[in-house]
Amino acid sequence: MIEKNRMAPYMRRYTVRIIMFMAAYVIILTSSLFFARNGAPHSQATLIGLALITAFPVVGVFWAIFRLLVETDDEYQRLLFAKQTLLATAITLVIVTVWQFLQVYDVVSTGPQWMGVIWFGALGIAGPFVRWKA
Amino acid sequence: MKNRLKVLRAERDWNQQDLADALGVSRQSVNAIETGKYDPSLPLAFRIADLFGLPIEAIFLRD
Repeated sequence: MIEKNRMAPYMRRYTVRIIMFMAAYVIILTSSLFFARNGAPHSQATLIGLALITAFPVVGVFWAIFRLLVETDDEYQRLLFAKQTLLATAITLVIVTVWQFLQVYDVVSTGPQWMGVIWFGALGIAGPFVRWKA
Repeated sequence: MKNRLKVLRAERDWNQQDLADALGVSRQSVNAIETGKYDPSLPLAFRIADLFGLPIEAIFLRD
C-alpha cells in the first residue's frame, strides 16, 4: 500500500537506480577520457574496452526505465509510463529520420548521432505531455 | 464507463487519497477512474468492489 506523502516503492527503486547509474557515468566517463587522452598510445582493444565501460551506465539507465514499466504495480501509472516511453520513441524516430535526410541532401555533414541522448531528452518532453490533464 | 466511486467515497467521508491508500494506488489513479478517464482492470475493479462491500455492477455502470 502507498502511504500518504511517501514515494511508491517502485519509484523509490527507480530513483536509486538512476542516481547510481548517473553517478557511475560521471566517474567512468571522466576517468576513461582522462586515461584515453593521456598522450600515451592505446591499443584498439583498450579503446573498445573503454567504450564498452563508458556505455555501461547509460545502458543501465535504459534498463532502469524499462524495469520501471515492469515493476510499477499501479496500473494507471504504468499506462502513463508506457505512453511516455512510446511518445519519446516516436519523437526520437522523427528527429533521426529528418536528420538522416538532411544528411542525404548534404544540408548537414553528419547523420544521426547520440540517439540515446535524444531519446532521454524526448522522454523528458513526453512526460508533461502525457501527464497533462491525466 | 460511468461509476459511482465519488458518491460511495463521499458517503464514507473519504477523500481521494484515503481511497488511494486503501487500494494501494496513487491519488492520480483514483481521480482518473472517478472521472471516467480510465477504466480499471478486472482485478482492480474487484478490489474496489471488495473495499465497498458491493458487487462490481453496483459501482461501475454501462454507458
